[in-house]
Amino acid sequence: MNILVFTKRVPATQEEELRLINDGKDVDFSKLPFKVNDWDNYAVEEAVKIVEKGGGAVTAVSIGNTESDEVLRRAIAMGAKDGFLVEVDQALHDPFARGALIRNFIRKESIPFDVIFTGVQSEDDQFASVGGILAALLKLPYVSMVVGIDSVAKDHMVVRRELEGGLQERVRVTTPCVLSIQSGINEPRYVSIMGIRKASKVERKSFKGIEYDAGKESHIELVKWVYPPKKGGAQMLGGELPDICKKLMEILKEKGVYQ
Amino acid sequence: MSYALIVAETRRGIFEERNLDSIGICALLGKETAILLPDGQYSFNEKLVDSIIRVKADEEVFLNPLNMTAIIEKVSEARGRPDLIVFTHSSSGAESAAYAAGLFGFPVITDVSGYDKERGIFFKSYYSDKLFGEFKTTGGATAVLTVRSGSFKEFAAEKAAAPREEVVEGITASDSRTFVEYVEEEKTDIDITKADFLLSVGRGVGNKDEIPAYEELAGLLKAVISGSRPVIDKMWLPKARQVGTSGKTVKPKVYLAMGISGAFQHIAGMKDADCIIAINKDAEAPIFQYAHYGIVADMHKVRDALKGVLKG
Repeated sequence: MNILVFTKRVPATQEEELRLINDGKDVDFSKLPFKVNDWDNYAVEEAVKIVEKGGGAVTAVSIGNTESDEVLRRAIAMGAKDGFLVEVDQALHDPFARGALIRNFIRKESIPFDVIFTGVQSEDDQFASVGGILAALLKLPYVSMVVGIDSVAKDHMVVRRELEGGLQERVRVTTPCVLSIQSGINEPRYVSIMGIRKASKVERKSFKGIEYDAGKESHIELVKWVYPPKKGGAQMLGGELPDICKKLMEILKEKGVYQ
Repeated sequence: MSYALIVAETRRGIFEERNLDSIGICALLGKETAILLPDGQYSFNEKLVDSIIRVKADEEVFLNPLNMTAIIEKVSEARGRPDLIVFTHSSSGAESAAYAAGLFGFPVITDVSGYDKERGIFFKSYYSDKLFGEFKTTGGATAVLTVRSGSFKEFAAEKAAAPREEVVEGITASDSRTFVEYVEEEKTDIDITKADFLLSVGRGVGNKDEIPAYEELAGLLKAVISGSRPVIDKMWLPKARQVGTSGKTVKPKVYLAMGISGAFQHIAGMKDADCIIAINKDAEAPIFQYAHYGIVADMHKVRDALKGVLKG
């Protein structure tokens, strides 16, 4: 089975302060570290696991600037055979534009695949839409929030998707199809620096997004970014650690959960 | 006729409360509203909408993007194309919304939590609520939205007249994606929804080896330990301990959140706790917006200091 998996390089924003610049037209990423999108890491692992078991090849594709090559090297270190970069100068904020670009790329380059994996969402914009848009544009069946792949047959797969409150739904989907992979589906393998160095020797192909009308099919516009609305917020407990602990214990006693 | 089409989310016969947010945003936009429902009897205030469109299809057929797009096409043939199609921002809602947008070539904005009527701007979260993006649709096509639960329900208002009833029939279920069965979570001896005091750990815990020390602290405090999605995904705590929309919704007397930044899916699962205390080293963490008490500190240091106090 040939699996095409999409992987995105995103800023690591946990515990980082995000600063808006140019009146909210841009976010200052200059001091932020970058990483692979968590969901895509699970998607790459799942794809590699399937081909390790049943044969085939994984091709990792990233849409982004040249620095996105690092997530391709990472995917190769995990077991992908090829890495393709579709280079765009500017981030495409509209998931429709990204879906359309991917469709154009796949069609024009006649990229072969049996299944396409995307992460459910990316950590930055959290649209959770590219997989579904792409599936519809390619006229393929779609399943999102995939937390388990139970079986892989020649013409179909049986997968589990996450609903709410611990409930899952088992569905049968014919291939080719597009699946969006949910975090927690597997334990992504550890990638060592040595592994990435070795992967660097595998040639990655680079394509220019402009050749596939990047950004042409866009239906929404990001006007600007703003800071979140303040909701009143918490009463902050300050001071040295012993003081903080004392106040904390007082609250727990007052609320009646600790005697 | 200009109208908004709401795709109701039902789960095993229950009309999900977050549909009220879909109804609310349509009211805020001043749209005439039609709600789509699968087969079955659902209990909700029907006066909140102008029309109820009952689809002759089972819930499992209805909540399948391949069928939902066929249903939307039928509705559009019968009563004209809607200006707006609204889904809940949930597992099934987001899935069908993206697919519908792709198939029909419509703009889509997901996880919408605010709307500025004067400017025609939709607000959506970025970076787990650290920023919000202001979006507008370009061109006149139908907009597809998914709506964050809790964001718009206060705008839902009863209409003067009882809703009109319509029926959609003749939906052929897709055979390329079919429902097999529901899979229930494994039963465990612990039920975090029954605990008065939850000590919940998040991504900030950093690594698995730190978990036992939190379990020890929970033991000393007579609290039950739980976690947010990143901790469960990494299998550092079992799935039954997960707080959030895909895990459990909890309402303890005290929710002590350590190293949890406060992604919305987590907040939705614990925001109704009587008292929320958040410990995070990032002063900008969104959880401080929802907590009653906040401590900006290294969670491990607070843990060790508390253990010191409790062991006396």
